[in-house]
Amino acid sequence: MTNEIWITVLGLGFISFLIRISGFILASHLPKHGAWARGLEALPGCLIVSLVTLMMIYGSALEWITGSIVLVISALTHRPNLAMFCGIALIAALRQLGL
Amino acid sequence: MRASRTVRIEILYGMRDMLPMSLAAATYGLAFGLLASQSGFNNFQTISMSVLVFGGSSQLVAMDQLVLGVGPAAAIIAGAALNMRILLITASMESVMRDRSWWHIGLGTFLATDASVALMQTAKSRLMTDSYWYFFGGGASLYLVWIVVTTIGTFLSSGVPDPELIGLDFAIIAIFVAILPGMWRGYVDVFPWFIALGTVIFFGVWLSEYASWGLIVGAIFGAMAAGLKND
Repeated sequence: MTNEIWITVLGLGFISFLIRISGFILASHLPKHGAWARGLEALPGCLIVSLVTLMMIYGSALEWITGSIVLVISALTHRPNLAMFCGIALIAALRQLGL
Repeated sequence: MRASRTVRIEILYGMRDMLPMSLAAATYGLAFGLLASQSGFNNFQTISMSVLVFGGSSQLVAMDQLVLGVGPAAAIIAGAALNMRILLITASMESVMRDRSWWHIGLGTFLATDASVALMQTAKSRLMTDSYWYFFGGGASLYLVWIVVTTIGTFLSSGVPDPELIGLDFAIIAIFVAILPGMWRGYVDVFPWFIALGTVIFFGVWLSEYASWGLIVGAIFGAMAAGLKND
């Protein structure tokens, strides 16, 4: 098992770095104008939408409700950190109430 | 003198803006350290994994696969599949690292995580969207937190309060939900975001075995929709 763990640690570390640097190299060879540029500009937002959807898709009703409240607080206050801490406090309180 | 002061300020802003994400990652790192020590990893192996891989979900999945006895190759493939999304993140950070030396690029891409996308939003309000040192400060502070909490997790082995009781398990979801409004660029995002959302739901409902691939495909399809829309 020890050797298998070391192979995995070193192998995954190496592959992960290759993945990271490949993204930069790939993007640096793409045109800086037109369709590719528009796609790259939209990529961070699309990535966050996909990430949130994936996290929420199997979430409980409580997580959906709290997530929606976090979204509203963040949109109204423009303070994502405040919204995050409100969400943590709210879900902890609701769970304490047995919901 | 002024240049080094500017660099220092940008690093400090990056570190400061990364704090909420560090809190979210800390719960994850603690869990990883704990689970690894209970799964046959010694402390040195656990800490080495966090030092070299620096990817929460991929570390957990690779460890899980090893415990199931599928062997290192399958464990590496499973972990790497989850890290494929970081390729998209470093692609969208290209302007931050453009014209930098290769060791800067290597370091900058190594420190890129999901949290770097959150920093892109805070960078806008600080007018630092192309500041290498801002992203370096944020990434380096998260990296240090990740290693420290993993190390703490390996030594605790038990007796950690249940994160669900104090809502900390929700921190990672909450922070990404909270940064969504800041990523919104206006009506131009409606169609790409709808495509990304629909793709992930399609994978989640009809191809649930490959749900994590839905994240990557959804982001790519959304970006493609944005690129092709005005042509």
